[in-house]
Formats: sequence, structure tokens, C-alpha cells
Amino acid sequence: MTAALEVIGVHKSFGGRQILNDFSLRIDIGETVGLLGPNGCGKTTLLNVIANLVSKDKGQVLFMGQPIENLGKPMRSLVAVCSQRSSLYPELLPAENLLFFARLYGLSEKESERRVAELMSDFELEGFATTRAGRLSGGWQQRLHIAVSVINRPAFLMLDEPTAAVDVEARLDLWNFIGGLRDQGTTILMTTHHLTEADRLCNRVALMRDGGVVAVGHPAELLSRLPGKSVAQVTSVDTDGLIKRARALGWPTRQGMNEVRLFLPAVLSLREIIDALDGVNLSSLSTRPLTLEDVYLELVGGLAPLERVALK
Amino acid sequence: MMLLFGLVYAHNATMRDGLDAAAAGILIGAALFFSCLGGTVAAIAAERERGTLQRLFTTPLSPAAYFSGLVMSQLLLAILQVVVLYSIAFYVGAQYHGSFLLGGVILLLSVFIYVGMGFFLGMRFAKRSEEVVVALSAIGVPLLVLGGTFFPLEIMPRAMQFVAQINPISHMNQAFKGVAAYDMGLSELRFEMTFLVIFCVISMVLGTQSFRRLSIEGQIR
Repeated sequence: MTAALEVIGVHKSFGGRQILNDFSLRIDIGETVGLLGPNGCGKTTLLNVIANLVSKDKGQVLFMGQPIENLGKPMRSLVAVCSQRSSLYPELLPAENLLFFARLYGLSEKESERRVAELMSDFELEGFATTRAGRLSGGWQQRLHIAVSVINRPAFLMLDEPTAAVDVEARLDLWNFIGGLRDQGTTILMTTHHLTEADRLCNRVALMRDGGVVAVGHPAELLSRLPGKSVAQVTSVDTDGLIKRARALGWPTRQGMNEVRLFLPAVLSLREIIDALDGVNLSSLSTRPLTLEDVYLELVGGLAPLERVALK
Repeated sequence: MMLLFGLVYAHNATMRDGLDAAAAGILIGAALFFSCLGGTVAAIAAERERGTLQRLFTTPLSPAAYFSGLVMSQLLLAILQVVVLYSIAFYVGAQYHGSFLLGGVILLLSVFIYVGMGFFLGMRFAKRSEEVVVALSAIGVPLLVLGGTFFPLEIMPRAMQFVAQINPISHMNQAFKGVAAYDMGLSELRFEMTFLVIFCVISMVLGTQSFRRLSIEGQIR
């Protein structure tokens, strides 16, 4: 598979603070990769470096094999970035915002008008055709913001927390739209704090910490790195006894504020768990499958590694 | 403003001569300063504040094209100001004495310099619209005062006169007043014109450099 983007050993610091630290990532053509990590871990800086808005201290960024700094206008037009913050001309109407950027990308008058109409429809903006962008609500501004980002049908799209400030309905709509772009073959790199979003939209997920990648892979592949098949969330008045018993069973545990998470070696029923925790006084017990959130907490959360148990 | 400036100039000359010089001084030192320099700083601060500057630079639009766009828009405003200001000036009795071509070239250079300075100030000092006033007050207005817009350079102390000599606004004032009010030609204004051309190049380089520096520091937004 050909790489759409290769980030090789990129370093970047601001004011003596290392933001990106030997960051490397390869994204193949047509892939959707999610970047997950805590606030301040360098996700936005990375996107800005890739978009050539911020110069790197060291390393290489290649788009279709060419250094990003040397891209000519035609290649540069294939790359689009949708920043975290909505960036629109507030005094212009939605269609005028779209049209302005269409012309900047060199779309012909006819193509611009066709594309604007298409995006107004795709993002359901027709109902706000006569409302100036600055008067749209946050969610509708975000729709328009993303619509502007894809005005030139970019081959490679970077989205910085695209659904961070929208309501549930708008989020689902945007997920559908981003999923549509992915299905049409657009290569996408997106940052997000929504693990469900990453799980739903991304072929691969890269987990970031301290400016570098700590793990990268398909969500299912990342889940397989955890020592368990499912999680039991347990509360007990005898937390110490619970943890002692779980360890005796070989079940790795994590103690949270109000509950203990047990990483189970298989998908067990509540009855099987209660029987296994023989004699421990349980206040509540529920089970769920492993999620990306568990992977995130284990790999990015800076916790000591869980003991791996022998899987049945 | 025309009346005030006219009275000041007329103190040592006739009112008519005073108005001729006043019209030129107001155009360069007040109207173009606030619209071209102030307007450019404000435009860049607004673009940065709403995030559109960052978006613009992810499009195939080059910094040079962006700069040219600012120059073009300010040039249109400048033409409008020339028409309005000189309509009023002619109405109150002022006259334009020199070459329209030379006057036009001086105005063109002045717009380039003001936009270049505005580009530099906007990129370096004005991240938010509130900072526009600070940037203009702290850096722009002293340049305006030292450019001989409000007081003749001759009454300034020697040190201030020296600063005025390296201040492009004083050369804009001298050159445009020279043409508009005193019918001077290119040969008489060679020093001012050379300075304006050199400063035009410097201000454009400074503007571009300040953009690159912002890019390195990651502070486009």
C-alpha cells in the first residue's frame, strides 16, 4: 500500500518545552487514522506541522513521498486541515463562505457553484442560507466549518476534534459525513477525545503521550493488548478483600475512585464472577466488553502495566 | 481637520497655500495612515482572531498573494479617500499644483509602505482586535508625529529630526506635499523618492519575515 503521509522522527518544541518528541506515523492512502491523547500531548501541533503551518525542529513529513514544505500548488490543494476552532467569515452567508474558499482553491465558477450547492445540501445548511455565519449556533458553524474544509474534495483531510463542540444529533450527522468521506477513499487523520468516534470511524488508532506514539493499530488489535477479554466493574465495602481475591484468581485489577475494574480472562456471566469471588461481599457488579477507553487508560494513562493473565 | 491643518500651515503663509499643503498632509499623514496602516493591522488581527488566517494559509494562497490582496483593497480605499478629500479640498479653495503621475506614484508607494508596516505590526503585535489600538498607539502614532504630520520638522529638536529622517512617513509627507502644494518634480524629490522605494522593499520583506517567524513559533492563530 502506498503511503499518503509519512511522519518520520518529528521533533518540535516551543519555548523550551518539547511538544513533539520523535513522532513517527505512516498513513496509507484511503486510511482513516485517529489520534488520541490527553490535552497538551501535541495532537494539534502535529496537525499544524503536517499542514506546514508550524515548522518542525527535526524530522521529515512526506505527503505522497514529497516533503510537505516543497509541495507545489496542485499537491498542496490535495491537503486540507479543519482546525479545532471554527474559522469562518462571520459577515458572509454560508454559501458565500464556501464560495470564497472554492475560488481560493481555483475551482471554476461552474464547479464552485455546483460544489457549494452539494455541500449546502450534504450538511443540511439550506435552512440557514440567509443567516450570516456569525449568527449560526456553534453546532451549525461547525458543520459549515467542516464543509468549507472539504470544498476542494481533498485527498488528505486533517480534522482536529471535529465534533468537540456539537450536540449529539450534529455529532451523529458529522460522523455520517466523515464516514462517507472515508468510504469514498479520502485519507483522513483526525484527533479526538471521543473514543467511540475513533472506534466508529477509524481504521487505525494512534495513541499519543508526551509528543510521541505509544501504540498504533486497529482498535481490535489494540484491545488484544490488554490482559483480558471483558471487564467487571465491582463495588464492595471490602475493597482490599476483593482485590486480594481477584489477584488470587489471576485477574488484573484497577482501583478507581468508587469501583474496582477486574480484567476477566473470558466473557463470564455475573453468576460465574460471583462464584469465583467466593466470600467477597459485593455491593454492585456489572460486566461489559473491553473498550478503547480501557486501552487508552492503560496505555496513555501512565499506569503501571497490568499483569497479563493466562487466557482460557 | 482640513481647517485646522490649513490654519496651522497658513500661519506662515497665505491661507490658500496653507490649504494646499494641508490637503496633502492630511491625505498622507492622517487618512492613509489610519486606513492603510490601521486597516491592515485590524484586518490581520481580525483574521487571526477568527482563525481564518490559519485557514487561508492552508489553501494554495501564498503569503505574497495575501499581501497583494491587502494592498489592492487598501489601494481602492486610498483612491476613494483621494477623491473625497480632494473634492472637499477643492471646494474650500485648495489646489493641486504638480504632476498627477508623480503624485500617484508617491501615493502608491505610500500605500505599499503602510500596508507593509501594517502587515509587520499585525503579525508581530496584534493577536486580538483589542491589541490593534495598542500597536497603533505605541508604534504607529509616534511615527506619525515624527513624520511631520502635526508639527513641522524644523521646530523639532535635532535628535527628533534625525529620527524623522529615517521615518518613511516624513518622506511621504515631504514628497507628496512637494508635488501637490509646491509643484516639485522628480529631480527635486530624488532623495525622498529613493528613500520611499527602499523603504517599500524593506517593509514588504519585514512583513513576509514576520509571517515566517510566526510560522516557526506556531502563533499564526
